[in-house]
Amino acid sequence: MAIFNLKKREIECKVVFYGPGRCGKTTNLEFIFKAYKKQVKGEMVSINTEGDRTLFFDFLPMGLGKIRGCDVRVQLYTVPGQIKYSSTRKLVLRGVDGIVFVADSLEVRREKNMISLKDLQSNLKEYGKSIFQVPLVMQYNKRDLAEQGIPLMPIEQMERDLNRQLKVPSISASAVKGTGVGVTLKECLKQTLKQLQREFKWAQ
Amino acid sequence: MDIKKRLKAMLQEAEIYRSQGLIAEAKSIYKEASEHINSIEKLKNKNSLLNLINSKIVALDETKTRVEKGPAASRELGKKAQDLIKNLFAFSENKDADYAALEGAVALAKFGQFDRAFDELNALIEKDNVRVEAGKNILRCHLAAATSDEAIEQYKKWFLMDIFLPSQLETLRSYLADILQKKGVKASLPSPLTDGERMTSANHETVVSVEPELEEEFLDITSIGITFDSGPQKGRMIEFDVNFQSGNMLSLIISKSDQELIEGLKSGSSLQDIQFYSPIAIFNGAGMVASKTKIKSGPKQGDYCLDIKIVST
Repeated sequence: MAIFNLKKREIECKVVFYGPGRCGKTTNLEFIFKAYKKQVKGEMVSINTEGDRTLFFDFLPMGLGKIRGCDVRVQLYTVPGQIKYSSTRKLVLRGVDGIVFVADSLEVRREKNMISLKDLQSNLKEYGKSIFQVPLVMQYNKRDLAEQGIPLMPIEQMERDLNRQLKVPSISASAVKGTGVGVTLKECLKQTLKQLQREFKWAQ
Repeated sequence: MDIKKRLKAMLQEAEIYRSQGLIAEAKSIYKEASEHINSIEKLKNKNSLLNLINSKIVALDETKTRVEKGPAASRELGKKAQDLIKNLFAFSENKDADYAALEGAVALAKFGQFDRAFDELNALIEKDNVRVEAGKNILRCHLAAATSDEAIEQYKKWFLMDIFLPSQLETLRSYLADILQKKGVKASLPSPLTDGERMTSANHETVVSVEPELEEEFLDITSIGITFDSGPQKGRMIEFDVNFQSGNMLSLIISKSDQELIEGLKSGSSLQDIQFYSPIAIFNGAGMVASKTKIKSGPKQGDYCLDIKIVST
């Protein structure tokens, strides 16, 4: 849940990058850390990793400056994607204000995407939130691998698999190259701030 | 596509999956490539190609083992990382410093940082307003980090000391007794109250627990890890998603390709070492294979549906 300090006109919100293992959540954050130096307000911290696998979470604090007279700060998190870290995923998701669901475009990861999205829905439900109401953006990552002849799912198929009912904004991306990462984040922040505005009416 | 090009494409695909950390996917393509090579009778360098692929598969298996048996998520982190966990995952809006400290210690325990959690909870036992909650969480840490015996020993130590009031000690005794009963552990926990006092205490007590999860009948379990104590998988922990749960009965699907697992998990066999992953806690326990059914139709045709009954947690 966002923290809103009316007196200081400060708002702090939490955005979580969710998705199956190895889909590129940490790579997204790494790119944001490198590309948005001005907005990044500290180090990117990766808590407990094994090789390049996230076991706990990554954390990156950002400051968006003043938006309609309010100082907006954002905390970006990733969750561990591996199935066995379910309890950690749920802990990290607590108090979330906006979500980027990073889906893996590889054909061989189709089922993993769907399982992870279902996991997200069920974890949100346990916090009394509906996946249909939480600000959510879908990112179809690893599109660059098509150039190397790797079988990817067509966007239309990913939309059918993951976004048929949700109908949330979706963005094609290559986190490793940085393509689409900024657009994804901006879209998610837009959705999140709109929602917070509805809740707190801070911009009035 | 000619044979050379097809093989090259397959090996390239497998290599990309490997570089992405997609071990199972890479292995599957390498195996497919291997079968493809074997099916071609007159192929130059056939053996060296097969050897090369085999070495790649061996390396993938090693990586898989390392990932599966690698450092547990519960290993102790540095102070800086622990401070960040406390800072980010203590959600209480309670302004009371002791409650905030308690939440911080609980956050550490949730991330498996038991050593520091113990230190901080033990310090909080000195504080009147959070003493009982700190005590409960110490017991929970013992149960999560070690065994029931340590939690029992801890309670018995407190019983001999003057830290808790008799009513507080009774709260802890009854809290631990409930958990042990659910785990099927028999233990004699001395009560600081007489039978009559205990009845009165039970009637009037309203304790708010910071960590009520274990008091629930059965947690929602998302996946389990079974450590096999015999057969070809002996000593290995294999993880399964839970497809359906009804009370203490969990249903899993095992792929038809996992023949060793299917054969190893016989109906009626007992599973002494199961790690249960729920959204709010990871805990150990035991279970038994209640039934094993081959799926006869649909997309999972040929796979097996396994019902596992949780015997103790």
